[in-house]
Amino acid sequence: MTERGKSLPTIALEELAGCAGELLVILENLDQLLPFARVLRFRFGQSRNDTGPVDISFVEGSVSQPHDLETLKLIRQRSKMVIAVGNCAVWGCVQGSCAQKYPVPEMLRKVYGDDTHIDSLPSAGIDNYIKVDAKLSGCPINATQLLAVAASALRGHLPYVIQKPVCLECKYKENVCVLVEQGLPCLGPVTAAGCGALCPSLGAACYGCWGVCEAPQIDAMTSTLTDKGYKYEEVRSRLTTFGGSEKLFGRDETSAAGASCITAE
Amino acid sequence: MTELEKKTIKIAEVTRVEGHSAVHVEITDGQVTDVKMEVTEGKRFFERMLLGHQFSEMPHLTSRICAICSAGHVLAAIHSVERASGITVSETTRLFRLLMQMGMFIESHATHIYALALPDFVGAQDVADLATRFQAKFIEWTKLRSLGAAIQTTVGGRPFHPVNLHVGGLSHYPSVAQLEPLLAQLKEYQQIAVDLCELLLGFAPPVRRTTDPCYMALIPPDGEYGYMGDRVKASDGWEDSIDNYKEYLGEKVLPYSHAKQSNARGKSLMVGSLARLALFGDRLGRMAKPLYEKSPIASGDTNTIWNNLAQALELVDAIEQSIAIIGKLKSTPYQIDLHDPRKQSIKAGSATGATECPRGTLYHHFVLDDSGKIMEADIVTPTAQNVGRMEVDIREVVQQAKDPTAAEVRDHLETLLRAYDPCNTCATHMVSISYR
Ligand code: SF4
Ligand code: SF4
Repeated sequence: MTERGKSLPTIALEELAGCAGELLVILENLDQLLPFARVLRFRFGQSRNDTGPVDISFVEGSVSQPHDLETLKLIRQRSKMVIAVGNCAVWGCVQGSCAQKYPVPEMLRKVYGDDTHIDSLPSAGIDNYIKVDAKLSGCPINATQLLAVAASALRGHLPYVIQKPVCLECKYKENVCVLVEQGLPCLGPVTAAGCGALCPSLGAACYGCWGVCEAPQIDAMTSTLTDKGYKYEEVRSRLTTFGGSEKLFGRDETSAAGASCITAE
Repeated sequence: MTELEKKTIKIAEVTRVEGHSAVHVEITDGQVTDVKMEVTEGKRFFERMLLGHQFSEMPHLTSRICAICSAGHVLAAIHSVERASGITVSETTRLFRLLMQMGMFIESHATHIYALALPDFVGAQDVADLATRFQAKFIEWTKLRSLGAAIQTTVGGRPFHPVNLHVGGLSHYPSVAQLEPLLAQLKEYQQIAVDLCELLLGFAPPVRRTTDPCYMALIPPDGEYGYMGDRVKASDGWEDSIDNYKEYLGEKVLPYSHAKQSNARGKSLMVGSLARLALFGDRLGRMAKPLYEKSPIASGDTNTIWNNLAQALELVDAIEQSIAIIGKLKSTPYQIDLHDPRKQSIKAGSATGATECPRGTLYHHFVLDDSGKIMEADIVTPTAQNVGRMEVDIREVVQQAKDPTAAEVRDHLETLLRAYDPCNTCATHMVSISYR
């Protein structure tokens, strides 16, 4: 390795339980990162993997078993900065929504039989277990957002990630509002931006895959959709699918729950 | 050997595959006595999660099982719901779905061959090493996978977890003008895929397979090579409808693994590119056929390692098919389907949907009530079907080796397992059980 290679900041790309989408986005943009960072760990993409101290760890996936938790604690110990990437790591994604609704031991028995010894934890985002320095949501993450976050982090700055609603990006694009004009069940008003209002730009309703935005107006969203004829049960289930907490339902908690995405030092 | 010797081979972490898995082999007195392919990826209880959701959410929810085959999950979910409710779509919608599927095959196969498998063949450590020492190959990968991603982005809205494909139709029909740049790239990159086949044809397999697997794949309609169908066929001549998948795919829970293992009527089966080519290779298109005909696959060699070559052949064919699909879309006026979930008539019912994914046949089975709510869900992924055969292969490789504990054997095992292109996130999350 060249002298310059040695002096580059080091990164690790870690994977817990998820769909590997974030790793795929990173793999596909690796050539953009390689000039600025040395990859110490990337089990998905490389054979030699170093478990020593690292400057920045990008973590994909949710904690879903005790083994994930051990791995995560080790990651925190050896990293100066931990960045949660993707909806799974930030919110627990679809498996997190399932864990909110059903007890894990019951699910384990149903799948693996009564005498299973397999350990499992209710799936959840990683900041339930360790301190996370920045969170980059998305299912999958947006490559442009990833590179911007990586650029700040590689210079030692805490990255800034937008958490305003999708509607904002939708207005920038001057889209026809599918909720108001077509009555489609768009969750854009309570979903964090970052995708460039992808679904409404294609004439479809946002289904919330970036997780909830800051200070989501859940009650207003729910009543708008039920007024349009969608069943309350269905609206609630859609709102919690990609990371909305059941706790958001109930006026008092609404404002407190959409915490800012950056956890300051 | 003079005394009873016990040896073990352990690969704690198989690298350059998707998800987490480990291999454990025990050898007693020169005989392999135990083989375990442990899938340790965390469980996500997908099928439980799907219950109570609306039919229209199925494509988007199931796509999260796996990013690289997300288009496959979307298509299988749509296939199942549409069969259950008797929804039919226009030829235009069908063509766009096929194009999406080709995009998935191009991206997934290119990424597996170049970034995960090829380093073993050219003597590179991994993809980062490939990027520095074999830059031409790295650039080829970038071109092909970007092409697959561009097709999926044009049709589906983004490279994976598509947002534009729905039960009953598309929310936006890409214009002919949007398809033109894809057509130009497809034509330009076709030769790269052909050259890749030639390259892989030249590699001698590091290990042999000593018993033949039972291959299985969907029967593509109209005598063509393809990835859709309502019936399956196996290499022993047996055929059945996908509706009976629960009968012909046996499953067992293993104490050491988070993935359930499937078998075909009691035999350890293999699904994926090699299986499809072994069954339907003679149906390949003009470009891929001659390459296939001179390959060991056509002459009956079932070595798992040829799955890499099989993927390259499908890559050539997928490019050729994409060109043909775009040609059809350009030459006929679009028939637009409604995608508004409120305007679709959903009937109570149940059905199985299936599609071929890069790694093999994927099954989705849903039971809907009359409001379109999911009452039961069952999903069987390709890797779950392949794990049993992987164990047989591991056993054979170790049994053949002079010194089973040599570092070389470990490397060969990893190379072999990688050839299956295993997707452990799929295998685990797709614990196959119906919830009521
Ligand atoms: S279409 Fe959706 S995201 Fe766009 S403005 Fe309307 S509600 Fe917001
Ligand atoms: S519009 Fe909503 S569902 Fe669509 S990609 Fe963006 S966040 Fe995800």
